[in-house]
Amino acid sequence: MTTKPIDDLQSSFQNLLRYDGPAGLVVFLVALPLCLGIALASGAPLFSGIIAGIVGGVVVAAASGSEVSVSGPAAGLAVIVALAIQSLGSYKVFLLAVVLAGLMQMLMGLLRLGVIGDYVPNSVIKGMLAGIGLVIILKQIPHALGRDKDFEGDLAFLEGRENTLTDIVEAVLSASPGAILITAVSLAILLGWDTVAARAGQFAKQIPASLLVVAAGIGINNLLGTLAPGWQLREAEHMVTLPVASSASGFFEQFMLPDFGAIANPKVWTVALTVAIVASIESLLSLEAADRIDPFKRISSPNRELLAQGLGNLTSGMIGGMPITSVVVRTSANVYAGARTRVSAMLHGVLLFVAVMAIPAYLNFTPLACLAAILIVVGYKLTKFSLYSHMYGLGWSQFVPFIVTVLAIVFTDLLTGVLIGLALGMFYVMQQNHHEGITVVHQDEHYLMRFNKDATFLNKSELRTKLRKIPAGSHLIIDGIKALYIDRDIVEAVEDFKLMAPYKNITVEVDNLE
Amino acid sequence: MDSYQKLLLANKAWVQDRLTAKPDYFEKSALGQQPDFMWIGCSDSRVPAEEVVGAEPGELFVHRNVANLVVHTDLNMLSVLQYAVEVLKIKHVIVCGHYNCGGVKNAMSHQDLGLITKWLRHIKDVYRLNRRELETIENEQTRWDRLVELNVAEQVQNLAQTSIVQKAWHADHRPTVHGWVYDIRTGYIKEIACIRPGAKLDDIYMFDLGSKE
Repeated sequence: MTTKPIDDLQSSFQNLLRYDGPAGLVVFLVALPLCLGIALASGAPLFSGIIAGIVGGVVVAAASGSEVSVSGPAAGLAVIVALAIQSLGSYKVFLLAVVLAGLMQMLMGLLRLGVIGDYVPNSVIKGMLAGIGLVIILKQIPHALGRDKDFEGDLAFLEGRENTLTDIVEAVLSASPGAILITAVSLAILLGWDTVAARAGQFAKQIPASLLVVAAGIGINNLLGTLAPGWQLREAEHMVTLPVASSASGFFEQFMLPDFGAIANPKVWTVALTVAIVASIESLLSLEAADRIDPFKRISSPNRELLAQGLGNLTSGMIGGMPITSVVVRTSANVYAGARTRVSAMLHGVLLFVAVMAIPAYLNFTPLACLAAILIVVGYKLTKFSLYSHMYGLGWSQFVPFIVTVLAIVFTDLLTGVLIGLALGMFYVMQQNHHEGITVVHQDEHYLMRFNKDATFLNKSELRTKLRKIPAGSHLIIDGIKALYIDRDIVEAVEDFKLMAPYKNITVEVDNLE
Repeated sequence: MDSYQKLLLANKAWVQDRLTAKPDYFEKSALGQQPDFMWIGCSDSRVPAEEVVGAEPGELFVHRNVANLVVHTDLNMLSVLQYAVEVLKIKHVIVCGHYNCGGVKNAMSHQDLGLITKWLRHIKDVYRLNRRELETIENEQTRWDRLVELNVAEQVQNLAQTSIVQKAWHADHRPTVHGWVYDIRTGYIKEIACIRPGAKLDDIYMFDLGSKE
């Protein structure tokens, strides 16, 4: 079969069956507990997390700048949301802030502020992906061992009184045999399925491993119920726990409108602005990450993404949902499940809706341990050992911001980690720019000083040092012809030197400055 | 300070910049050259060959004379061409003229500047061959521009008519001969002519080189 690559990337029925459908199903299964976990951590109604997931799938994915990015409620906002609901006093007032945040994001998109994502250095983006991969693995190990104390989707190091590492230690000490069995079988399926399916023929190849994992997880846990009841995972905390409505009207009552009466409350506007800014930064970072892991290397429009995210928050807030961002965990699960177009993300939204409406009780049979296995494999793909050796090979100026971002993300949280990485990355850029900014050569008493690149305030101390070294009695030419941009600071430093030069009997000639 | 001393200083700065970018730059450079292009340009100080096409040292094999002429008895130009084509095996020969060329301007006038005017006689021939077209152009600047273009086209023909180029076409299917004009007012280069290896020329200029084995 020789189709042009471009044909493979259209939202077609063939792609839906072969790539986007299975990927959408996997993302749906991964997203479901994340939606609930983040809603729980944010102190919002559980169902509001599902609404955000549905809107993130259906609305944001349809309008998104990216084909593979998946949006939904974000762990990075959990703390902000929890505090905001408390300070505003009511969830419905908070919903108004979400609506306003959505409008602000759309405005940011129209003002083309999306470009800020382009200023994040490569090493930091790679560090962010690797860091998230590592965090996913570390956070999922307890779930894989049957310890489900921390909420699903948490990416912060501190978990109340515990932290990521103590949680793992506790999990190892209290490991549940049922969870270990389910995780082990799940990992075996995930790692071995491609080889088995290749031999088993065409039909088997169509079945995604993650789907088998979920089926196996439910199957094993139910079998344990009859064979070894002591091993079975029974409590709700070990399972996916969807709110089950008793009737259709009960289901629709879970949607709610914002309280527009609070529009004059300045606190609402402060919360809206905070949510808009943090959600936009997270989304743009996630968008950069999505482009990076997209196997087809498509480049997404960040401004369109801001519009899409704004539209998503507007919609989510209007019907009772939490704020939305683009999320790296879901996006990478989507990409590694083989998604090609936005259809998979949209399908995940539709499936969320259908699932909570039609079969909430059945989904509650899914043990979190098998989802943990899926996420651990996704995490590993983001943080492969070869990535670290590759980054190391690129030299310190790449490796240091990379590894610092990774560690900062593991030990703080996503946003703080990226900010630390950014600060360090910036330092390296400055230092490198600074190195060879000014060339000085001389022939006898004739000196030529030339600015090689943009001469900014960063070059000022270098300029002063080099000017000091010009010996008395010289003739100095200062030439700016090679610099595209010269800072006012530099011009002033040169002018100061001209005033002082006669005392050292130095004649100064300035060319091409300003 | 004498102005020439600035050149020597600038040379030192250039060496330092090169070495900063590539510490082994000059060692590599000393090993030999393998340029793909031969450039025949004008001596005019405003048309530096490497600079206008962003070429690095080592990429262009350059011959410049007043008004970028290819004169079939000019041993200097022919030696450069023969070495470039037969020894360096360059793939493209580029004749690059430029608008506002003083040489072309002089050839259009009746002014005698001495020896240089004899050299520019060749452009007067180009003028005579294209007199009908040129004299329909009222605007003097436009006519000057057009003669610059016609001059380049003529030099491209002259190149293709040399036995050096024809032999290389026959034996090795190269070089391609290009005629360009650099617009001194905008910096852009305009393509005027292009003769690919094996193209048909005016029969009287074709040499009998036998069939290719």
